[in-house]
Amino acid sequence: MSDHAAHAHGAPTTPWPLVISIGILFLIPFAFMAKFVYHQPFAAILCLGLGAPMIIMGIIGWVREAIGGAEFPEMRGLGFGAMGWFILAEALIFLPTFATYWLMRLNADEWPPAGTVDMPALLPIIMTVILVSSSFTIHYAEEALEKGREDVFKKLLMVTMALGLIFLTMSMYEWNHLFHQGFVMSTNIYSSTFFTITGLHASHVIVGLGIFTAMLLPALNGTINHVFVRTGSLYWHFVDIIWFFVVSQMYFW
Amino acid sequence: MMNVLKDWIFTTDHKKIGLLYLIGSIAAFALAGCMALLMRTELSAIGPTITDNPGDYNVWLYFHGAAMILGFQIPALTGFLANYLIPLQIGARDVAFPRVNALSVWLFYMGIVLALMTFVVPNPPDVMWTGYPPYSVLTPGNTALYTFTVLLLGFASILGGVNFLTTITFMRAPGIGWNQLNVFTWCTYGAFILQLIFVPVLGTAVTMITLDKYMGTHFFDPAAGGDVLIYQNLFWFYSHPAVYVIFLPFIGIVFDIVATFARNRIFNYKAAIYGGVGGIVLLAGEVWIHHLYVTGMPDWIRVGQMITTLMISIPVGLLFISLVGTLFKGSIDFRTPMLYGLSVIFLMLIGGLTGIPLAIVSLDLHVSDTYFIIGHFHYVMAVAGTFSIFGGVYYLYPKFTGKMYNEAIAKIGFWLSFIGVNTIFFPMMIVGVTTGMPRRYWDYSQFPDAAPYHTIMGIGAGIIAIGFIVILISWIHGLFKGTPAGDNPWGSRSLEWTTTSPPLAHGNWEAVPTIAEGWGPYEYGTDKA
Repeated sequence: MSDHAAHAHGAPTTPWPLVISIGILFLIPFAFMAKFVYHQPFAAILCLGLGAPMIIMGIIGWVREAIGGAEFPEMRGLGFGAMGWFILAEALIFLPTFATYWLMRLNADEWPPAGTVDMPALLPIIMTVILVSSSFTIHYAEEALEKGREDVFKKLLMVTMALGLIFLTMSMYEWNHLFHQGFVMSTNIYSSTFFTITGLHASHVIVGLGIFTAMLLPALNGTINHVFVRTGSLYWHFVDIIWFFVVSQMYFW
Repeated sequence: MMNVLKDWIFTTDHKKIGLLYLIGSIAAFALAGCMALLMRTELSAIGPTITDNPGDYNVWLYFHGAAMILGFQIPALTGFLANYLIPLQIGARDVAFPRVNALSVWLFYMGIVLALMTFVVPNPPDVMWTGYPPYSVLTPGNTALYTFTVLLLGFASILGGVNFLTTITFMRAPGIGWNQLNVFTWCTYGAFILQLIFVPVLGTAVTMITLDKYMGTHFFDPAAGGDVLIYQNLFWFYSHPAVYVIFLPFIGIVFDIVATFARNRIFNYKAAIYGGVGGIVLLAGEVWIHHLYVTGMPDWIRVGQMITTLMISIPVGLLFISLVGTLFKGSIDFRTPMLYGLSVIFLMLIGGLTGIPLAIVSLDLHVSDTYFIIGHFHYVMAVAGTFSIFGGVYYLYPKFTGKMYNEAIAKIGFWLSFIGVNTIFFPMMIVGVTTGMPRRYWDYSQFPDAAPYHTIMGIGAGIIAIGFIVILISWIHGLFKGTPAGDNPWGSRSLEWTTTSPPLAHGNWEAVPTIAEGWGPYEYGTDKA
């Protein structure tokens, strides 16, 4: 947008928010309703095929405009504070799922409810170690950037992303494993909360990886927005902290 | 032409985005109002009147509630008014994240698109605006549409909240301290904090209904160990604070209107801000159980929440005293915005006082789910909120058009609406207490005594409809035939009136405005004498 600001009184414009909004409309509500409400899998695939590229295109366009900095000087550096507010909202997305889980569990006659299979114990420990180390790597990446060592920053950012991907893959493997044992969302109240909460957390990991991608690609071309890096890394720490709640409540209680 | 279109739909300017919110929310208001007209026509006499299918009535009820609250009031107050006013009131050139702001408004429009799909999809949602399970899970209606409407509008609210909290915290012009902010800005600050805390809870709750209905989970399925009351608790944990998300900005704009047209300082500014707004933000999350008194709760919870609910009248009372004190010894000018402002004080008084018996468990048990409740919350939230939005539009009309509306047409519109709302909602409270007429009924043959009241309410609905058309005419008339208004037609001291009307399309001011020592938005010199 900085190049638009040069036109003295013309208000700046950008198409990407509108593109992303339409993309979200197709990707989530339309696709879900086509598949699960109206049972039209082909229409659902069509909606996914329309929505996903629109969102990706929109984010790419948005990042290209925004990575250079804010329109007015007083808008610079506000992302970090805003992320604090956003994390407050994010935490309250998780709270009701945990509250529901606690209430159902404490009121249950027997626990675990019928149909529950043996939950793995080693895998979640390995996943925890991986996610915690990714929090360390992004922290050191941030420190390297502050010292001006951009090459170290890029490498550590890539390591963080790799750790996040490994975490997701293990999560996927575990879900698949449980599905094969007949433990699915509709099995009982434990499976309902288990898949909802781990799924919700995994979706946050995906968003975090998206943020890192939006950081990495411009960085490889030589543009690094320091506020964006600090903001994204704060988000990643939050995703990491939430995992402690997920893992302790879902596997080890 | 294409350039004008592009300027609007691709805009990141907070003023244009504010007006986009206004257009969308007024459209939602008009449609949701049509649903109210359909319902009142259906109820105007005992027995089927315009439909034989009670399901139709449920769909109207769903759309009326969901669109009025989520599509009209919240976007008009925290979208339109906040967007248009806050950067101007704090001397900022735009909000902190203009693109995120544009994303908010377009997500809001996508939510409106989903809401409109109610009228085209087979099996439209019929779950009121509350979506209570087990009905919402068992109904053949499309509950997913309800869920996604809430999710998109909620996401827009959260992004808006993050944006405005950051803007108000970090982007005040140098020299504007926290105690020099407009009451509207302060109230909206409180409202956005509430949104960030409570909207996500609603989002998760409605998502869990859709998971239950379509993915086979058992959150609200008692047979498998779930609990329907969890949903009611989560829903009201959001939805009672949502009343304050509506209440705070609307009382804020009324403060600004009243101070401007009484040419007076705000009486007890700090008590109103820190006691009133702060008190509501602190108490908002501890009162939701009063919506669930009849669901079978231990007495200690009900009594505890009765006390917190009654405590809410303290901060509300502080705001009220402050408003009346601002009128005291003011030189009052009864222009249209002021009429709306004063009527809000009156409507809020009736709505607020009828709320006190509802907070008391022993009284509430008897009128729960009757028309008394509908009368109460329409007075305090629906009508008072809508009147302050309309008052705000008239107040800002010269600001965003540079023209003055026709005072006579505007006043006719006001009085018609004012008479209309009292004709419809006051009888509701009487009929609720005297006949016990329950809410949500499409036919009331068991309550024949209620019939004459329903006829009167039907007439009231018609008067409101005519009043709203007159209001719309006054807005459109002013756009084409309005006289030039000048930069500051109201003689306000507030910062938004120091810039040109309409303000510069890009950046509001040539540079960040400089604030004189001792400046305040309500310095009419009335404190000095």
